[in-house]
Amino acid sequence: MDELLNDFLAETSEHIDAAGEQLVLFERDPSNGGAIGKIFRLFHTIKGTCGFLGLTRLEQLTHVTESLIGRLRDGAPATPETVSLILTTVDRVKFILAWLANTASEPEGDDNALIEALQANLNSSASPPAEATEEVPAPTAPAASAETAPLAETATGSGSVEIAASPMRSTATRTASNRAETIRVTVGALERIMILVSELVLTRNQLLEITRHHEDATVKAPLQRLSSLTTDLQDAVMRARMQPLGRLFASLPRLVRELAVDLKKKLYLVTEGADTELDRQLVELIRDPLTHLLRNCADHGIESPDKRLALGKPEEGTIKVNATHEAGYITIDVSDDGRGLDLERIRYKAQAKGLVNAAEAKNLSDDEIGRFIFAPGFSTSPSVTSISGRGIGMDIVRDNIESIGGSISVTTTAGKGTRFSLKIPLTLAIAPALILEVRGHHFALPQHSVIEAVRIDSDSGHSLERVQGSLVLRLRDEVLPVADLEQVLDLEAKGVDNGALVIVMRVSSRVFGIIVDAVTDVQEIVVKPLSASLAHLEVFSGHTILGDGSVVLILDPTGIAGRIGFERASDYTVGRTVETYVPAEENTRFILFRAGPGALKALPLSLVARIECVPASEIRQSDGNFVMQHHQQIMPLVPLIPADQALSEDDNPVLVLGIGGESMGLLIEEIVDVVEARLDVQIAGVSSSVIGTAEIRGAVVEILDATHFMRIGRPNAYSRGFANQFWILLVDDKPFFRDMLAPLLIAAGYRVTTAGSGEDALALFDRGAHFDAVVTDTDMPNMSGYALAHQLHSDSRRASLPVIALAAHAAPSVVQAAAESGMCGAVGKFDRPALLEMLSRILESHHLNKHDLESSIIGAAA
Amino acid sequence: MNRNALRVESETVDSRALHGDKETHCFIVYVGGEAFGLAVDCVQTIFQIEAVTPVPLGPQEIVGLVNLRGKIVTAVSLRRRLQMPDAQPAKSALAIGMEYRGENFALIVDEVGDVIFLNPQTQIALPPHLDQHRAKLTEAVYRLDQGILSMLNVGCLFDFQRRV
Repeated sequence: MDELLNDFLAETSEHIDAAGEQLVLFERDPSNGGAIGKIFRLFHTIKGTCGFLGLTRLEQLTHVTESLIGRLRDGAPATPETVSLILTTVDRVKFILAWLANTASEPEGDDNALIEALQANLNSSASPPAEATEEVPAPTAPAASAETAPLAETATGSGSVEIAASPMRSTATRTASNRAETIRVTVGALERIMILVSELVLTRNQLLEITRHHEDATVKAPLQRLSSLTTDLQDAVMRARMQPLGRLFASLPRLVRELAVDLKKKLYLVTEGADTELDRQLVELIRDPLTHLLRNCADHGIESPDKRLALGKPEEGTIKVNATHEAGYITIDVSDDGRGLDLERIRYKAQAKGLVNAAEAKNLSDDEIGRFIFAPGFSTSPSVTSISGRGIGMDIVRDNIESIGGSISVTTTAGKGTRFSLKIPLTLAIAPALILEVRGHHFALPQHSVIEAVRIDSDSGHSLERVQGSLVLRLRDEVLPVADLEQVLDLEAKGVDNGALVIVMRVSSRVFGIIVDAVTDVQEIVVKPLSASLAHLEVFSGHTILGDGSVVLILDPTGIAGRIGFERASDYTVGRTVETYVPAEENTRFILFRAGPGALKALPLSLVARIECVPASEIRQSDGNFVMQHHQQIMPLVPLIPADQALSEDDNPVLVLGIGGESMGLLIEEIVDVVEARLDVQIAGVSSSVIGTAEIRGAVVEILDATHFMRIGRPNAYSRGFANQFWILLVDDKPFFRDMLAPLLIAAGYRVTTAGSGEDALALFDRGAHFDAVVTDTDMPNMSGYALAHQLHSDSRRASLPVIALAAHAAPSVVQAAAESGMCGAVGKFDRPALLEMLSRILESHHLNKHDLESSIIGAAA
Repeated sequence: MNRNALRVESETVDSRALHGDKETHCFIVYVGGEAFGLAVDCVQTIFQIEAVTPVPLGPQEIVGLVNLRGKIVTAVSLRRRLQMPDAQPAKSALAIGMEYRGENFALIVDEVGDVIFLNPQTQIALPPHLDQHRAKLTEAVYRLDQGILSMLNVGCLFDFQRRV
C-alpha cells in the first residue's frame, strides 16, 4: 500500500476513536471548548489529507461534518440529534477507513443521505454566519495551544473528569518537529524484543546462580553490572509495551451514552486514572470484561430516573471507572450509585441452585453472598434485556479476568450502589512465583492465586484435622479443605518429609490449601506453555527454567482444584453416567391458571402457542366434544372446567397448544399469572392429566401434562409430532460447549446425555445405552470425532446410527472429512439453527424408515 | 536435516548415498541390546542428559523435562516406549534431540551407532506375529547383512496414549 495512505490510516484510526468520546464530553458540558476544538481539528485534518490523497468520498463527508462541528464550536447548541448525527458520521468514517486499510481504495456507494442530513442540520442550526466555517485554515493557533497543555485543558474542562487525558491523543495536531520523536514499531517487533529479554533474564539468573557457587572476584563486578542492566532493560521493554488505559477508556463515554439512550436512563460516567499504564496485550484482554461490567451497572445497577427521584437520589446515575496502580498490579474499580445487589435474592437463588444449603446460606457474609453472581449461569434479573442479557455474563467476566492472572471482587451496599474491583497483573510475560518443594520435587506456583502460607506445627497453633478421612485446616474461624500435593500429583518420594506447610489459595470463590514441604524461593518466572504431549495435564499450566538451569513445572491452581474434586458446583457433567440429563439451573416460565376446583394449575408457557378469549357463541359441541371455530378451521377444545359450569357469555379464556402443525385448545376458567420458576415436582401426579404437584412462588400448583390433552384433542398429530422424544449423545471434551449445547438440545425437545471424550461415549454404548443420534466435537484429544464415528459404525448394531460432526466452523474441509468418516454432516458449534435443523432432518428421515422405531416411541411416550 | 550434528557418524556415509535417489539413510540406536533405525531427517543432535525434571501424572514413557541449551525438551525413554524394563543400573542418559510437529523431544537410548543406508530392495514385510504395540511403532523392517533392522515410526513414537 501507498506509504502516505498507510501513515494517514494509522494516524487517523487512532484519533477517530477519541472523537466520539470528546463529542460526548462536549454534549455533557457545552462550555468545554477544548473537546469540540479537538474534534474540529481532527475532521479538518482528515478532510485536508483526503483531498491530498484523492479520497473524494471521505473528503465530502468530512467537509460537511467539519462545517457542522464548526458551528458547534462557535456556540451553536449541541442538540442530541446533532450529536447523534455526528456520531453516525464518526462510525461511517471508521467504516471507510477500515475499508481503505483492507483494499487501499474507498468502498463503493455514497454517503448522500448522511450528507443531506448533516446539511439539513447545518441549515437548521441558525447560528453564526456561514463565513465562520470558512475560516478553516485558521486553527493553527488553537492547535498550538492545545498541544502545549493537553493535560491542563481537560483538567480545567471538567474537574475530576479526566477521560483519556493521555498526551498521545493530542498528536493529531502535532507539528512536524514533534512527530519526529515517535516512530511506529510493529507489535511483532516489540513481542520479539520481549521474548529476547525474557531469555536474557533467564540466562542472567543462571549466571548469578553459577557465581554463587564459584566465588570469582574478577567476574563479580561486571556480572553485577550485567545484572542491573538486564533488570533495567526488562523494565524499559515492559514500559515500551505499556499503553495508557485511556486508550480503553476512550470508548466508554460513547458506550454509556448509547446505554443511556437504550435504557432510557440518565447516566453520567466518570473515569479516573486514564494515564495508568498496562501491558498492551492486557489492555485488549480486559476490554470485554470492562464493557460487560459497565453494561451491568447501567442495566441492573442504576435505577430508572423516576425511581431515583423517588428515593431522593439525583436523577442522573453515576458510573465511575477508576484505575490505580499498586505493587505490580492495576486495580480497576467499576462502581455505580444504584440499587446495589439484591443479596436476599442471590441467597435464595444460590440455595435454589444447590450452590449452598439452607444452613450455609444463612451464615454466609454479604461479601460471600455477592460472590455467587460469578457462578456460572447465575442471574437474578427477572427480566431479559438486550443490554446485558441474563444468565451468562458475570461468570465469563470472572473467567476472562482469572485467565490473565487477575481477580474480581464485588462489594455492595443496598440502596447505595455496587463496586466491582478488578485486580490485573501489569504483564503476562513475567510473573512472580513461589518455588515449592514437595518430597524433593520442585514446582512453581504463580503468586497471584496464593493468599497465605501457614506452617503446621505445635508452635503455630494451626493443625490439620481429618473429617471422615479428608484433611481440613482450621484457620482462624474458617475450616478449609486441604490436600497433600504429594498425593495430588502422585509423587515418588525423592527426599524426606521435613514438616508441613499449607499454601492457601483461592480459585474463583473457593479457598483451599495444599500441603508442601517448603517454599524454597520466590522468583520471577517466564511462563512457557507446555508442549503438546503434556498439555492435557490439567494440574500444570506451563513450565519454566529457573536461575540454576533446572526446569520446573508451573502448577495451575484451577487444575489442582479440579483434580482434588473441588469442582465448580455447577459442573453437572462430572458423573458422566447414563442418566437423562437434567439441566440443573433452568428456570421455566409457567402460566398459572384456575380450572376447576382445587389447586391452581400450571403449564409451561413454551407449550402455549397463544391465549384467546372466546365468546360462548363460538364454542360448539360436536359429536360429544367441544370444538371452536378458529381461522376457518375447527379446533378441538378440551374443557378443564367442571361440566356443569356455564360458559361465560363473551369471555372464555382458551390456551391454544400447538402440536405437529395443528392446534388444540384448553378451555379454562381464568388466567392468574405468568411466573418464572424452577420446576421441582414434589409429589408425582396420580391422574394421567397431572404431572405432579409443585410449589411455585409459595403456592401449591398442579403441573398439567400437556401430552395428555394433546392425545385427547389431536391423537394423530400427537403421535406424529410431539412424541418424537429422541435421545441424543453429545460428545465434547470442553465443558463449555457441553454446557452451552446441552440446554439448547433439551430446549428443542431432545433428551441429552453428555460425554467428555470419545472413549466415554463408547463406554456408554458398551454399557448398553441407546441413543438415536450422536453429536460429536471433531477435535478432541486421543480420539477425534471422526475416529469415534468410525468406531461406532464398525459395530453392526450401530452401523446406521446418525453421527453429526461439531466443529468450530463447518468449513468445507470439515464437511468432507465428516462425510468420509460416515457422518451425516457437520455444523459449526455456534450455529444453533443449523444444528437443530440437521438433527430434526436426520432423525425424521431415519425415523420414517423405521416403523418399529416409531411404534416404540409412541409406546414409550404413552 | 542437520548434517553437522551427525558429522562424527557420517564417516561411514559414502557419496553414493549422499546423492542416493531412493535409498533412505538411517541412524542406528541401541536399546536393550536391540538395534533400531531412526530416519536421519528427524535427528538434530546427540547429547548427555544431566538433570531431568519428572512430570507427575504424565505419560509413563515421558521421563521428564530437560533443559537443552535454554530450551525445554521432553525426554522420552525408548526403553519404556518399547515396553522394555528400565536399564539397571541406569546407564548415563544418552539422548537424541529430535523435533516432531514443532515439539522438541529427547529420545533416551542406551547407545548410538552409525548412519547407514537402506536399500529399498532389502525391505521385508513386517513379521505378522510381531507384538502389536511394537508393530505400531515400526515403520518398516530391513534385512541387512548383520541382522534384521526395524525402522521406528517417529510420529507414533511421540504420539502418546494420554492417560490421566
